[in-house]
Amino acid sequence: MQQARSKPNAVLLVLMLVGVVAWLTLPAISVAPNRIVPGTPQRAQEALGWGVALLATVPMLGVATLAWRPFTWHLRAALVLVVGLLAAMPLWLSGVAATLEAASRLGLGSALWLLLFLWLLALIELRARLALSRPLGWALLLPVLLAWWVCLMQWLAPLALYREYQVRSDQFVGAIGQHLALVGSAVGAALLLGVCLALAMRRRAGVRRVGFGILNFLQTIPSIALFGLLLAPLAWLASRVEWLAALGVSGIGWAPAWLALLGYSLLPMVRNTFVALEEVDPAVIEAARGMGMSQRQVFLQVRLPLALPVVLEGIRITTVQAIGLTAVAALIGAGGLGTFIFQGLGQAAMDLVLLGALPIIALALMVDALLSALADWLRQGGTT
Amino acid sequence: MIELFDVTKRFGEEVAVDAISLRVQKGELCVLVGTSGCGKSTTLRMINRLIEHSDGEIHLDGQPVRTFDEVTLRRRIGYVIQNTGLFPHWTVARNIGLVPRLLKWPRAQVRERVETLMALLGLPIEEFAAKYPHQLSGGQAQRVGVARALAADPEILLMDEPFGALDPITREALQHELLDLQARLHKTIVFVTHDMDEALALADRLVVMRQGRIVQQGPPLELLHEPVDDFVASMLGGDARGLKEAALTRVRDRMLPLGPRLLAHERVAVDVPLNQALSLMLWHRVDRLTVVDDDDIPIGELSLRRLVGSKA
Repeated sequence: MQQARSKPNAVLLVLMLVGVVAWLTLPAISVAPNRIVPGTPQRAQEALGWGVALLATVPMLGVATLAWRPFTWHLRAALVLVVGLLAAMPLWLSGVAATLEAASRLGLGSALWLLLFLWLLALIELRARLALSRPLGWALLLPVLLAWWVCLMQWLAPLALYREYQVRSDQFVGAIGQHLALVGSAVGAALLLGVCLALAMRRRAGVRRVGFGILNFLQTIPSIALFGLLLAPLAWLASRVEWLAALGVSGIGWAPAWLALLGYSLLPMVRNTFVALEEVDPAVIEAARGMGMSQRQVFLQVRLPLALPVVLEGIRITTVQAIGLTAVAALIGAGGLGTFIFQGLGQAAMDLVLLGALPIIALALMVDALLSALADWLRQGGTT
Repeated sequence: MIELFDVTKRFGEEVAVDAISLRVQKGELCVLVGTSGCGKSTTLRMINRLIEHSDGEIHLDGQPVRTFDEVTLRRRIGYVIQNTGLFPHWTVARNIGLVPRLLKWPRAQVRERVETLMALLGLPIEEFAAKYPHQLSGGQAQRVGVARALAADPEILLMDEPFGALDPITREALQHELLDLQARLHKTIVFVTHDMDEALALADRLVVMRQGRIVQQGPPLELLHEPVDDFVASMLGGDARGLKEAALTRVRDRMLPLGPRLLAHERVAVDVPLNQALSLMLWHRVDRLTVVDDDDIPIGELSLRRLVGSKA
């Protein structure tokens, strides 16, 4: 055991060494005098001088050294260092911001993005090695988020991403709301419909063949094409049926987006639900019937609870997929965070694109983590 | 009492069970034995209507099973299957309490019954009540399966190869436990197995099946002595039948009281079956054993001549 533990942790070593090289060679930031002019990239040592730049490599080299002999307390120390690094990044940026003129805009360079990525990977690796619980893992991110938040409020006004946000803070909150409403309602409807379809498919082989055929076909249509295809029929419907028009249904906007999301969500939902219900151990069902449970009782007390973790897996995949797809729906005026992405692309303002893209990634990760935790909790019932 | 009158089961063209008739008396342990696909499991499952019979009639205590509501019927019949069929998402206690809860017993009574059964099957409550099935060994899980089947105190118990997936030692232990239970509870049991040793050890009445028909039925000794045809004879072990029979007789039944002769050196317990006594003689190369009781006190002797039962 001791032998195995004293072998160097290659993952951490590589992450940290790549980090040091990236920090010293890639541009850490870009500074632009205003929004229109593209920024000039600067390396870390050019921004705040060699002293600070080299100082920042110390904790990274420290983690690498600790990883050479990964005893438990070494790894704990490394964990503290990595969290410290993540929390120190906004402080360093604040230092840079202090040297800039009032109107300039500060952008994150490739070095910083890469470092964020590497350090988060290091955090995941350490969490796994130290076998930390899920809540504790999240708790580790708290000081990091706190540091970012304080710096943003106090000193990071020139950060381009933050400027884009400030101009649109109301719109931003609204966009997140729209995004979540679209995803939530579409996945919710897909769940209801999907469960009904899966149940019908279990009853009849005919429904199963046709159903999976159609759903598979739907999945192969590119999303933009599907939006286009829905345009004409919906516009026609809205012009004929008054109450639909009153609801806000039209060829563009939320209606085609919602329908397309529903269509794409159905396949993973139906497939998972169907497989989950189908794959419950036949011996258990046989026993349940043999004990004198009615069909209803067998389904509600045995088949459904045993299938639930897999159904939940379907909900997770569907939701994460829908969060990404909804970004595209902004193209047809459905709103949501995709709006910023397409606006940003149109104006060649990459920071505006990020303002849309980053929350989408964050949302997807959060939903993923939440539903995974829920599935784990359900599985504790002893099925694994 | 379970009665089958000319019961037939067809799956499409194929006849799985062909006009069999059988009567299992109250308190009897009836074992259906045969090669796989002989229709023994199908027969069992027709009794609690997991499979509906095509022709003939099945009666419980004189009443056709078709006249019962199938769910009510099954709640009155205990059912144990090979892979336990325990609900993996329920604790042991909840699994055992299933049928009483289905029958809407008051909560306190269910708990009391579960505790009684766990004690009866040697499952300490503190240790097992809160465990999940995947935390149990095969033998423990099958004990829970038997406890669950007995929960609502049914008169009839159907057991479908319940010990088939267990290792030989655990299997034998559970067979003994089943016999002990049966001696106390006097259930009417139909037990399906393909293992003839198990069948001989358990059966009051042995039913040998082949291709959907009953070839022969009767007490195990009767079948051993008078198999109706070569199939039954070979099922019962062919030339090894002598040993199978010896396994059904105890030393107690053949021993003589202590005589004037010197005690034989090798000893045998009074309750072991004759095949073990024979094995001891072969092993020690002797033809006489001293029979001892539970406290290892000599109470008789057994000679090879008595063991083989020769009249001379």
